[in-house]
Amino acid sequence: MKLELLHQPDSAIAKVHMGPQEELLAEAGAMVAMSSHINVSTTLRKGKGGGVFGGLKRMMGGESLFMSVFRSGSSAAELYLAPKLMGDILPYTLSGTELVIQSSSYLASTPSVQIDLGFTGFKSLFSGESLFWLTANGSGLVMLNAFGSIYEIEVDGDYVVDTGHIVAFERSLDYSISKANKSWAGAFFSGEGFVCQFRGRAKVWCQTHNPGAFGRKVGGKLPPR
Amino acid sequence: MKYDIRYKPSFATLFLTLQPGEQIFAEAGAMASMSGKLSMDTTFFGGLIPGLLKSFLGGESLFLNEFSNKTQSPQEIVLTQSSVGDITQIQLNGREICLQPGAYIAHTRGTKVQLRWAGFASWFAGEGLFKLKLSGKGMVFFGAYGGLSTVEVQDSFVVDNGHLVAYEPGIKMNIGMSGGLLGSVTSGEGFINRLEGRGKIYLQSRSVDGLVRFLRTQLGYVTELFLLTLCCFNL
Repeated sequence: MKLELLHQPDSAIAKVHMGPQEELLAEAGAMVAMSSHINVSTTLRKGKGGGVFGGLKRMMGGESLFMSVFRSGSSAAELYLAPKLMGDILPYTLSGTELVIQSSSYLASTPSVQIDLGFTGFKSLFSGESLFWLTANGSGLVMLNAFGSIYEIEVDGDYVVDTGHIVAFERSLDYSISKANKSWAGAFFSGEGFVCQFRGRAKVWCQTHNPGAFGRKVGGKLPPR
Repeated sequence: MKYDIRYKPSFATLFLTLQPGEQIFAEAGAMASMSGKLSMDTTFFGGLIPGLLKSFLGGESLFLNEFSNKTQSPQEIVLTQSSVGDITQIQLNGREICLQPGAYIAHTRGTKVQLRWAGFASWFAGEGLFKLKLSGKGMVFFGAYGGLSTVEVQDSFVVDNGHLVAYEPGIKMNIGMSGGLLGSVTSGEGFINRLEGRGKIYLQSRSVDGLVRFLRTQLGYVTELFLLTLCCFNL
């Protein structure tokens, strides 16, 4: 499998060159175009975070209940994948490491990567973001998408990221979700709401723009549903 | 203070390095990420009462965050805006600039932040009763939805109000409708702004109102369905 990223960073689209008998999993609705002989099926993920219950959880996390599986079959194929929002795509190669992904940042992965739904607990429910984390294990390729550009931070010590700006981070980091201000009133009024505090030495990827903030800016002027 | 605006023009983002003892003031919600060693304090924007007025009538946040470096080493912070587009900066040095609601991102020490009466016409155009006026010796960062263009207004100039981001206070604004109420509605130009005077203005290449207008037409059936339901109940 070969990956080519076009139109980075503002309108990134992934062009995947698949060899024969290859398979790729993607977020439902991400397919833009593909070779006609690709076999597509829809699946509810199995295992932890899979099945009907897992699918429901994923739906709560702002993600589709379903995932698409693309199989190239007997001959090579081409597949184009794109996220919903304007922004960049980040390919990440897992090799025994573990990656924690903000669920709306997941675009696609190879079948050797195991994607699990991890739930961080009650704290994240108050944060206002769809803070359902996916964890990616194993070895293979994961494609992540962002609203805006993606910048990489090599955390060494303490680093703070607004929850709406996290794309993914390496599991070896210690993380806790807390309010940005010492006081509750300050946290409420500062507009920063909840932040994620990272500790340790590893990488975190951030998106330059917050989908929720843009959504509120535009959505606030639209008639109610 | 070292700053770098990256990912221009679509996703412009402000990367700042604060030296020991330095601070930056930013709009509530502007912080994307920062070093865990920076301290953050929340204050009222321009005092409590003007802050309240601004919040209710100007359409912007009531609060301002102050990020300061109380350590002995340089620390980084990343600031951004809610809309996608360009960001620019002005070194004031005695100059003044007025910002339209939503444009302000951050300012450095030495900048005076004031509220300025914008008038009822502005409020009527959905822009709020007050405008932000920044003066002093500091630096101001502001952003746009889309790209930023500057125009040197010599005498008079007409702009669509949704595209105006910032202007120098030497310019007087006259908000009105383009060619009467009916003309304004049918032409889709909305509120136009007749600028008079001399100074620089900043325009954004897209307007949030334009996007909202487009999306509204796509959502239209919901309202129609709702009205239809109402009619059915009445019958």
